[in-house]
Amino acid sequence: MNKELEHSFVEQLQKHQNIVHKVCRLYTNNADAHNDLFQEITIQLWRAYPKFRGDSKFSTWMYRVGLNTAITLYRKSKRRINTQEFDSVEFKIKAEEYDDTEEKQLKLLYQAVHQLNDIEKALVFLYLEDKDYREISTTLGITEVNARVKMNRVKKKLKTILNP
Amino acid sequence: MDELELLKKDWNKEKATYKSFSDSDIYPMLQKKSSSIVKTLFYISIAELGFWILVNTLPYFISEAYREKLNTSYENPLFMALSILSFVVILVFIYLLFKSYKSISITDNAKKLMESILRTRKVIKYYVIYNLVMIFISIPLSLYFEFNQNTVFHDQVASMNSTQTIKLYVVTVFITGIFLLVFWLFYKLLYGILLKRLNRNYDELKKLEV
Repeated sequence: MNKELEHSFVEQLQKHQNIVHKVCRLYTNNADAHNDLFQEITIQLWRAYPKFRGDSKFSTWMYRVGLNTAITLYRKSKRRINTQEFDSVEFKIKAEEYDDTEEKQLKLLYQAVHQLNDIEKALVFLYLEDKDYREISTTLGITEVNARVKMNRVKKKLKTILNP
Repeated sequence: MDELELLKKDWNKEKATYKSFSDSDIYPMLQKKSSSIVKTLFYISIAELGFWILVNTLPYFISEAYREKLNTSYENPLFMALSILSFVVILVFIYLLFKSYKSISITDNAKKLMESILRTRKVIKYYVIYNLVMIFISIPLSLYFEFNQNTVFHDQVASMNSTQTIKLYVVTVFITGIFLLVFWLFYKLLYGILLKRLNRNYDELKKLEV
């Protein structure tokens, strides 16, 4: 492939890599899995890059490719342990010593988000990234109304996970 | 305060909790192979096409007796028509597969992307079903040909009493049934594992529409 294209791609990805890291953070539970997903998203971004026309911002375009990879294309490799169970076990222990301090609360929150399903995570991700409902709906392919409805359900679900 | 607001505040702090990759980390990543389900689906469809083409053509190349028999069979217009049909069907499936792979675009919205992947999987599924149906049809058909052309077989069947004829039917149906069942289980397992997550996520999005 064209060296110039490759160079401009790597430069932009390097600059905006935090977006990819954030997707990985939500969808994976350990460093190995994080890097694995990062790798796959990078490949998908690179493949789609020749078609990137620049009519949207590079970062906006990254959200879509990143989430699509995490939700749809990515295959978790078998060798990895299922940390889902581990997470909830840890969560139960932590919940008993629930404390008001912000840091502890944040930790619990992140753990709770990890218990959501893939689509719910995507909503949370876009919400945290300050995307409006129009953008959430076009990224996921649902209507704006449904995006709102779903978001409210996710909030409720998080509350139930945090205060069982 | 709303839980998510608290999370959002922390989320956007941009503190360097992630290992930042340098340019020299990223370049090698571009050369790595993708392990996405689309890639796997692509390999499966190629294997599928190859397998069935091989099943249909291999006997012709390895068995001289079969080749001779086939050459005489071509004189039968029905057999000729079936052969042409199966060839056309393979071409049509290759075209459909190519088209549906082309339509998979990572920059589509999530739902559309899932739909195009599921459509591709359907094309492969139909191809497999087509082959299984053809096998199902070809077993009685080849028995029929054999009955008409092979005098030894003809005499054998003709001399059978009704219990023996029934036995022949039952055994044929049973073997065909087992054969189809094994294939069906194999595909259920293969696509079940591969597309489990995709199906789950697609259902989750679909559920919102009701």
